[in-house]
Amino acid sequence: MELFIQQVINGLSLGGIYALIALGYTMVYGIIELINFAHGDVYTMGSFFSIAIIGLLDASGQLHGLPLLLVLAVTLAGAMILCGIVGVLLERLAYRRLRNAPRLAPLITAIGASFILENIMQLWRGPSPIPFPSVVPNVTWHFGGVNLSSNEVLVVVMALALMAMLQIFIYNTRLGKAMRATAQDRDAAQLMGININMTIALTFFIGSALAGVGGFVSGIYYGSTWFYNGFEAGLKAFTAAVLGGIGNVAGAMLGGFVIGMVESLTAGFISDQWATVAVFLLLVLVLIFRPSGLLGEVLPDKV
Amino acid sequence: MSRRSLARFVALAAILSMFGTSAAVMPAQAADQVIKIGIDLPVSGADASDGIPTQNGAALAVDEANAHAPKGIKFAVDALDDAVGGVHNPQQGATNIRSLAADPAVMGVVGPFNSNVAAAEIPVSNESGLPLISPSNTNPTLTKTAKYRTAHPNEITYFRVCATDDVQGKAGAEFAKTLGLKKVYIIDDNETYGLGLANVFEKDFKEMGGAVLGHDHITANQQDFKALLTKVAATKPDAVYYGGTTSTGGGLVRQQMGAAGMDPAKVKYEGGDGISDAEFIKVAGDAANNSYYTVAAPNAAKSASAQAFINAYKAKYHSDIGAYSANGYVAAQVIIAAAEKAIKANGGKAPTRAQVLKNIQNTSGFKSIIGTFGFDKNGDTTSPVIALWTIKNGAQDFVHQINVSTK
Repeated sequence: MELFIQQVINGLSLGGIYALIALGYTMVYGIIELINFAHGDVYTMGSFFSIAIIGLLDASGQLHGLPLLLVLAVTLAGAMILCGIVGVLLERLAYRRLRNAPRLAPLITAIGASFILENIMQLWRGPSPIPFPSVVPNVTWHFGGVNLSSNEVLVVVMALALMAMLQIFIYNTRLGKAMRATAQDRDAAQLMGININMTIALTFFIGSALAGVGGFVSGIYYGSTWFYNGFEAGLKAFTAAVLGGIGNVAGAMLGGFVIGMVESLTAGFISDQWATVAVFLLLVLVLIFRPSGLLGEVLPDKV
Repeated sequence: MSRRSLARFVALAAILSMFGTSAAVMPAQAADQVIKIGIDLPVSGADASDGIPTQNGAALAVDEANAHAPKGIKFAVDALDDAVGGVHNPQQGATNIRSLAADPAVMGVVGPFNSNVAAAEIPVSNESGLPLISPSNTNPTLTKTAKYRTAHPNEITYFRVCATDDVQGKAGAEFAKTLGLKKVYIIDDNETYGLGLANVFEKDFKEMGGAVLGHDHITANQQDFKALLTKVAATKPDAVYYGGTTSTGGGLVRQQMGAAGMDPAKVKYEGGDGISDAEFIKVAGDAANNSYYTVAAPNAAKSASAQAFINAYKAKYHSDIGAYSANGYVAAQVIIAAAEKAIKANGGKAPTRAQVLKNIQNTSGFKSIIGTFGFDKNGDTTSPVIALWTIKNGAQDFVHQINVSTK
């Protein structure tokens, strides 16, 4: 039982990271129906930016109190803004011109953008795993035989808080309303005076900034990163978005946690090798029996 | 120079002198015949810390050979990289050997580094007759069975100067015993090398009375090992044995053990030569301490005859030798010696690849900085050595070494 709870904790923290990435997938898909394959690499860039910023702040060793909060705040804000900019640039340079092209064109472009980002990171920091500065003290609490560390709590709390904020933003602000309108009918939204280029760019900015948060917390959680990290994490997060119902914010979060949990329980109780198999098996089953995902609404096809 | 070519030379000189140009042209004698030593190792990415020191060793041997090369002969290096995206890649390795085999000037190849790459390269080498000498492949089936010699099952074109995993795994198990380990959990990377080594370790450790708590495989490009390691921690092992390389997860597994409830200061970590690179310490960080590993090559620093090599290496590359630098150096020397012998037999002319292969096959009593050895009927060294190492205070530390030849 203790082991089971421990694996659930592992699964939740892994799922929190997937969820943060999945939010970006789902937002971008929701608004322009593009599977942004470069999104996983934006997540890795979040880790890389964080390492660079912590390096610039000259922070080393474990920090406590005010310096820790300052470093955390500056790093997080920096990683979010920089990742947001990467996302906006991707949209502006790679996807905007293809907005009305056949769907395959932007998809292939997204895969190309993913390779470009990966290779930029490889040239920047080399192809080996890079240690993430351990500035955040990791406190472990013991509950009987179960260990809970502050890093695990950080990942889950961060994911839930950001999802809540995003939900409020989308449903309770003017910009959120513009976003929903653009997602529903781009032409009609434009006729109503919504600047759709701005709105789509904003969607990319927010989605990528959330991936930046994911990159930051995963760096703290794992203590290392490398340029290729985003490939598999991106694939799993995309699966999470589809599982939860692509285009649905709460669904992305739910999908992320479900996938993290399935992966971790399979690795813990069956075999590590079957973890990925189990994740995709679940995806296939959900798509067969609930094609629009767990929380997705059944929409009639666009004519 | 043979009499016939001398006659030609004189005739040519006479003709040239008639045009009054002999003074200008004569000193530029016929260009040296180039004999190439191919090198195929992973020299980029996470595997570079294995590949580069080995490649440097081989290149040093070629440099030294040029200092006293037979007249009219020049040795050159043709080095290729078999890593793709930072990790050794069997397909890339086979492509490299194919391109080296297409160049008739290449007489032999030092490499590959990884056993699964060798499994893809041996068929190409076997078909083309291009000798391969690996400094570090330890999987026993590469030589001891004919399954990779697809074109000519009885022709040996693949050799190695290191020991194999049947003895490395056994030495690892004995090592675990002397460290007082009773309960071990085994993890491997499911590659030719990692899985093979882990299986030998498991069998021998059990035979010696040790308990194996479980044996799991990880997959390539995996980043999160916490679920697996939480399961491992629940079995309360004395140590985790890892079969595989740093680039396939050896460093990350060690690094994440602490977070999964296994204090690296208490739970030991043991592996084979796959974690003998500097990269392991970099990736695992502080957790690298209290790790132990075997290397299928002697510690060159302990051998008096290797001091000149170590100094020359330091002078040229401004760094210490790697675990397989000396093996790379010796592998290149074997090819060069075989080529020189053939040159002598040819009266100074460049040899054919078949002649060089024949001479490599007949190598025996070869004196080198890793001992005196030859190749047996399968292409294995007759003098395999296993060295045992540990990591202390973030640095590699030699423990001892044993000669494991069965004869």
